[in-house]
Amino acid sequence: MRKSIQLFITCLPDTFRPSIGKAVLNVFAKIGIEVNFPLEQTCCGQPAFNAGMRRQARKLAIHTIQSFEKSYDPIILPSGSCTAMLRKNYLELFKNDPEWLPRAQRIAQRTYEFTEYLVDKIGVRELGSSYPGPVTYHPSCHLHRSLGIEKQPLLLLSHVKDSTKPDQNLEIKDLPNAEECCGFGGVFSVEQPHISKEMLQRKINHIQETQAPTVVTADTGCLLHIAGGLHRQGKKPRVVHIAEVLSSGS
Amino acid sequence: MPSPFQQQIQHAIKNESLQSALDKNAANRARARESAYQSLSEPFETLRQRAHRVREDIMGDLPTLLSTFIDNAEAGGFTVHRAADTIEAQGIILNICREHRGTLVAKSKSMVSEEIELNPFLESKGVRVVETDLGEYIVQLRDERPSHIITPAVHLQRSDVGKTFQEKLGIPYTENVSTLTNAARKQLRDTFLKADIGISGVNFGIARSGSLCIVTNEGNGRMVTSLPPVHIALMGQERLVRDLNDLALMLSLLPRSATGQKMTVYTQILNGPRLSTDPDQPQERHLIILDNGRSALRDSSLREALLCIRCGACLNACPVFQEIGGHAYVGNRGKHTPYPGPIGSIVSPGLFGQKTFGHLAQASTLCEACYEACPVKIDLPKLLLRVRAGGLAIPPTAKDRHTPAGLNPLTKLTLRVFTWLSKKGSRFHFAQKALGKLGSLISLKGWIRMPDFTGWGISKDLLQPAKKPFRDLFPSLQKELTIENEKFKKAGDWKKQPRPDDYPQVLQNTTDQFRQELEKLGGHFIPCSPHTLPERIFECIKEQDTQKIFSWKAPSLLPGVLSFLQEHGINIVHQSDPEIKIGLTGAQAGIAETGTLLLTSGKDRPATASLLPPLHLAVLDAKDIHRTLSSALGDPAVTKTSTINLISGPSRTADIEMTLDIGVHGPREVFVFCLGQ
Repeated sequence: MRKSIQLFITCLPDTFRPSIGKAVLNVFAKIGIEVNFPLEQTCCGQPAFNAGMRRQARKLAIHTIQSFEKSYDPIILPSGSCTAMLRKNYLELFKNDPEWLPRAQRIAQRTYEFTEYLVDKIGVRELGSSYPGPVTYHPSCHLHRSLGIEKQPLLLLSHVKDSTKPDQNLEIKDLPNAEECCGFGGVFSVEQPHISKEMLQRKINHIQETQAPTVVTADTGCLLHIAGGLHRQGKKPRVVHIAEVLSSGS
Repeated sequence: MPSPFQQQIQHAIKNESLQSALDKNAANRARARESAYQSLSEPFETLRQRAHRVREDIMGDLPTLLSTFIDNAEAGGFTVHRAADTIEAQGIILNICREHRGTLVAKSKSMVSEEIELNPFLESKGVRVVETDLGEYIVQLRDERPSHIITPAVHLQRSDVGKTFQEKLGIPYTENVSTLTNAARKQLRDTFLKADIGISGVNFGIARSGSLCIVTNEGNGRMVTSLPPVHIALMGQERLVRDLNDLALMLSLLPRSATGQKMTVYTQILNGPRLSTDPDQPQERHLIILDNGRSALRDSSLREALLCIRCGACLNACPVFQEIGGHAYVGNRGKHTPYPGPIGSIVSPGLFGQKTFGHLAQASTLCEACYEACPVKIDLPKLLLRVRAGGLAIPPTAKDRHTPAGLNPLTKLTLRVFTWLSKKGSRFHFAQKALGKLGSLISLKGWIRMPDFTGWGISKDLLQPAKKPFRDLFPSLQKELTIENEKFKKAGDWKKQPRPDDYPQVLQNTTDQFRQELEKLGGHFIPCSPHTLPERIFECIKEQDTQKIFSWKAPSLLPGVLSFLQEHGINIVHQSDPEIKIGLTGAQAGIAETGTLLLTSGKDRPATASLLPPLHLAVLDAKDIHRTLSSALGDPAVTKTSTINLISGPSRTADIEMTLDIGVHGPREVFVFCLGQ
């Protein structure tokens, strides 16, 4: 029997950057895993939760649990912060709710972030990908601090070939102060626009120091934030999701 | 009109000298913390989990522990007062001042005193208060508030301090940190000696023995707790540990997290006021234990915030603090809070009201850098989210149960609409398509310039929403992709590598380790035998070109030392005198891990001999060197004394631009004459 997963694309890639979803499908096709897409899925409720609007967050958390609990397949999200929402914050949201807490726990147990699932769960390293280098990698806060997923994305990137240099692996330039937040923080980016601006500038300066033409990240929130800042300043580097790098090549 | 908080933020961001000071603070502190963790005997993660459990147990048992602590403190001779709130605490302190006709107070650092706004209160009642921590002193001269709980003047550069000292102390303008520190030392020495009352904070109360632990680097904490005849200690009621074991654990984490030191220069354990046999120390010690909202906080969902040991690591790690500094954390009407940064954004609304300070919790990206840095592993992001969720903070009333704190009405409305749209897949899909259409009308080359009022538009453009969302592409993509099984190269043996345990091997010889650590701190180590000791000490005194020393009396030092010195023309006195350059003491123990001396007070052992003279000479027997602090504190002789002083090298400060300067209020040089080997 072929393995299958449920894809929770999450609202930002779904709405703003469908190419991330396409890339995720491509990667799963490469390794022979069938992807299901429950059409009822919308948003995990993270924006409302982070804003302190727990009543609204609860509604969307319940909707999300209902959308994914019909199947026992693992739930894969190409997003660190939404994974943390399902895995940790749902438990906080329903901690005093005997009806929904067990259902949230069952969902949390089979929720995986995209690179975590590939590397830890099914043991992938090499995907036959090739991408024009060099790149630099921004480890998003929720991915590396909240979920402890630090090495998985880098391991996958280290096996990508450089499409501009035959027989060479993709060069990954060290991003100075890589683990520093880019200043997105969901509602923070609009609630505290001035602090967000300063933090974004710090991140942009560090990206420019690497001189890499491409920034890779595994969270679409950070991607839209950094890319939006670079575009406003007319600066070159493009920002891509790690799935877009891994899906490239043969 | 932007809120006071937003005004402060914009003001801070535009202040270039503040920005450069904050950048320096973040970089230096991160580096220092990292390297200090390397010297821990166990991994930081293990220790902070243990510290979390210890503090959590204490919080669970707080009422009982508090009453044990109070009973024991009273038995030790402390006069204990409990204050329910600011007004009560202020009243108690004023009464003590009046009772002793006190008009001059020398004060060391205390966050509780900031919390109860003690200085303006006492000043209004005719009592002069002088701050004696260098950073606090600078801030007081400028009529400002501290901007950081550990480094109060972190927002200032040396030029700011130079100008302030020129204006207020009448010294020539200088940017030389040593000259500035020295000027403050001179001014304050006089205050210490003349003060009627000393006021200090408390880092930990030790329940089992009823003692207080106070740490300072400059020596001002020791001055205010040992020179004035009356000492008042202020503590928040949550700052308890059960026993000396707990204390040793906390002391292994606090200085490392706060300043990147293995041990603060001066760690005092006060067991009570002067005993009849003590040659110095205050006659009265008052302890004021403050509630001021802590009991309510303990009963709320924010209880975990009470685990805080006030090290300031979360401030230093926070990227938001790095942008705005401590002064920006203000209430809805512009009132400052003494507690800024991540922990402050929880404690301030928790203690002083969700309505006034709840909005501070919005100033976080939830990046978890604070959680990662916290030495007692407080889940700060979780607590920040609880503050944001409004009524969850304090037991909620029906009315404010779901009132999110400090949210912009536009954001609130947007999220309400967004939630309604997202409650159904079909509705969400419809909205996506509508957004895609709208986006294509207003975008330019794939990007949308958002207006400033949206917040986003201030510094970034918005990617145009896709004309077709992913869910519309999914069915055709799924058909298109053929399953290419053969490309799957399984390499399932990869596992997350545990971090290597590369902690330095524990040195076998504790004396060698003691020497290394002492020398790292700038102290001098002089190995001696009983025969050579008197001569070595004499040589050291001669080099200083002085003939008079302030010394402990004979039985506490090796017999023969004092008589040898006297025979060679040295004038030995047993009380302090401003002319004296050298203090000579023994030491009950040494601590190898940190190069620390342990001195107890008592008959013939004046505590001020290791504090007032600029040079401190100590005689330590090598067999009294313990490897760890907890082992040294385990010695029963240690607890039968009114004051224990742990001294780790010369007195120091980094309060001006994080520049290290040696010799503030305590000695600038420490010589250890180590017997035996």
